[in-house]
Amino acid sequence: MATSTQASLLLHKQLKDLTRHPVDGFSAGLVDDSNIFEWSVTIIGPPDTLYDGGFFNAIMSFPSNYPCSPPTVRFTSEMWHPNVYPDGRVCISILHAPGDDPNGYELASERWTPVHTVESIVLSVISMLSSPNDESPANVEAAKDWRDKRDEFKKKVSRCVRKSQEML
Amino acid sequence: MDSEDDIHDATDLDSLDGGDFDDERNSGDDYDFEEELVEISSKIPQQQQHYTVLSEADIRQLQEDDTTEVSNVLSISKVFASILLRNCNWSVSKLHDDWFADQDRVRKSVGLLGLDRPVVDQFQNAREVVCGICFESYPLNQIKTAACGYHPFCNSCWPGYISTSITDGPGCLTLRCPDPSCDAAVDQDMINVLVSDEDKDRYSQYLLRSYVENNRTIKWCPAPGCEYAVNFVMGAGSYDVACNCTYSFCWNCTEETHRPVECETVQKWIQKNSAESENTNWILANSKPCPKCKRPIEKNSGCMHMTCSDPCRFQFCWLCLGSWKEHCSRPGQYYACNRYETAKQQGVYDEYERRRKMAKNLLERYSHYYERWAANEKSRQKAVNDLQQMKAENIEKLTVKFSMPESQLKFITEAWLQIIECRLVLKWTYAYGYYLPEHEQIKRVYFEFSQGEAEAGLERLHLCAEKELLEYLTSEQPTFAFHDFKRRLTGLTRVTRTFFENLVKALENGLADVDVYSVGCSRSASSSYGGGGKKKGGRTVYERFAEDYDYASDSEF
Repeated sequence: MATSTQASLLLHKQLKDLTRHPVDGFSAGLVDDSNIFEWSVTIIGPPDTLYDGGFFNAIMSFPSNYPCSPPTVRFTSEMWHPNVYPDGRVCISILHAPGDDPNGYELASERWTPVHTVESIVLSVISMLSSPNDESPANVEAAKDWRDKRDEFKKKVSRCVRKSQEML
Repeated sequence: MDSEDDIHDATDLDSLDGGDFDDERNSGDDYDFEEELVEISSKIPQQQQHYTVLSEADIRQLQEDDTTEVSNVLSISKVFASILLRNCNWSVSKLHDDWFADQDRVRKSVGLLGLDRPVVDQFQNAREVVCGICFESYPLNQIKTAACGYHPFCNSCWPGYISTSITDGPGCLTLRCPDPSCDAAVDQDMINVLVSDEDKDRYSQYLLRSYVENNRTIKWCPAPGCEYAVNFVMGAGSYDVACNCTYSFCWNCTEETHRPVECETVQKWIQKNSAESENTNWILANSKPCPKCKRPIEKNSGCMHMTCSDPCRFQFCWLCLGSWKEHCSRPGQYYACNRYETAKQQGVYDEYERRRKMAKNLLERYSHYYERWAANEKSRQKAVNDLQQMKAENIEKLTVKFSMPESQLKFITEAWLQIIECRLVLKWTYAYGYYLPEHEQIKRVYFEFSQGEAEAGLERLHLCAEKELLEYLTSEQPTFAFHDFKRRLTGLTRVTRTFFENLVKALENGLADVDVYSVGCSRSASSSYGGGGKKKGGRTVYERFAEDYDYASDSEF
């Protein structure tokens, strides 16, 4: 119980900060005001990238021992990206606990540490949108398109951008 | 004290292994050198020279010693020394080399930045500091930083961070400052201050395990539930070690001891045993054995003219499996095999049946070796149990019955220990035999000859120790008969030991004697064979074999 109170205090604090001082590139709120562990964020497609102009919705779910363990981030808007699973889950190294990767595939310093906040996580997701990592793709098809059929890739991303605008 | 030092010097000069004997030596003033020599030679453990069995306490002690040494030499704290050592796989010499070659690089790679003083310098003027995790403000005494001294976190966020990492596993040994840009290590002192006793214990357990698991000279005993580890001195002969838990294993491959067979053969054999059932079916369905060397061949393309791979090189027809030489009477008709077609028409030839038979031969060869391998293991297990029962009950019965002291009955235990050891060796010679190439005819014959002799000897010994002894246990026998039995069993034990020593030696040098023999200078070879090998009737095993073999091949002509 102690940890979950610590988690909710910290999340409340971050929510207050973000409402008071919004950060460029995204907006954040709760899915349901009674549950501090489920956040709804809208990420604006970063300018000068294929995702420019899109408004992508995602849900962040925090574990009760946050910030010792990382939250998960899942796009609810349609998304075509090498590091986003077909079901919308985001796969980036800072969302992986250091113990998760026994093969040393990702450097420990690039993985989750409790100093990360909602803001730093969403900024990482935005930077992932502008520079996909096709070395260890979550969506293999998208990674193939990104590597070999860039036109195809662009077309699919534009479709996602358009759809996200229509949903507004 | 002076006299003590003198004694030490004296023994050092004579290069005797001191250490354990200090107490006895210092007990009396009359220092008799000869007496001590006898004492030492009887006390040196026979085969424990090249390895040491370590209990958990021993491991901790070694770890502590290494850490203290490094801490003294490099003038750093013990916890830092332990971080450095873990990073160098606990090799003190490697750490010294690296450290004196490039101290900064070593420090950086393990996260010991700059000088060793985890002090919160830069916050001295501030009254309150914000924790980087929960963003609350705390007075200085409620926050801490790792070795970096730059990234403050509060006393409630640190424990959460550390214990999550400890729960995740041994990765906690390389724990760094939570700030992603910072490499500073979180050391054991800090951990001990911040987390629960349970987590502390787990951390120190991981540290202990890392000392064994990352160490090139120490391995855990593989027996289930055993907590000892064995420290092995590299390059000091046989890999066979015996743990304090009574399990004997090969330190190199951590399988049970398997002299005289090499580790690779053991791996192959074990893998074969586990994979056999699935493979057999596939082999049966998809391959034919070479008609000459019986190795399975899968034909995946090409014509029916097959040539077996080196060293067999036998040429045959895939369809009828007959020799290609006899096969091609008329050129141009190879492809459709006449013999095969005719035989099939006549109904003589059932290809499926024939294929099955071939595969069966192959399988039978494997089963032959496997059954004997497994039977010897079973027999060894039973011998182990018998020995236990012997020690627990029967020896005592015999002491009463023949009014002999227990020391006089040691020959029985010795016989059983010999049986157990020989069963193990014999068992592994069957794996050896399976992999001995079919075409090395002379080697095979020699191998089977030595194995046969050793096996026959062992069977005699086993029978004597099992059945004959039973008579003395169950029925009334005169004492002189028991003395006779003692003489016989002792003799058999000795003879069997010699047989097996010779067998092990012959297999361990790859049956090299027959190479010399096949070149044609067998008589001179016999004198160089096995320096310590005992002779029986003035001839070595090999000489007896060579004569038998000569005789056998003579009689063929």
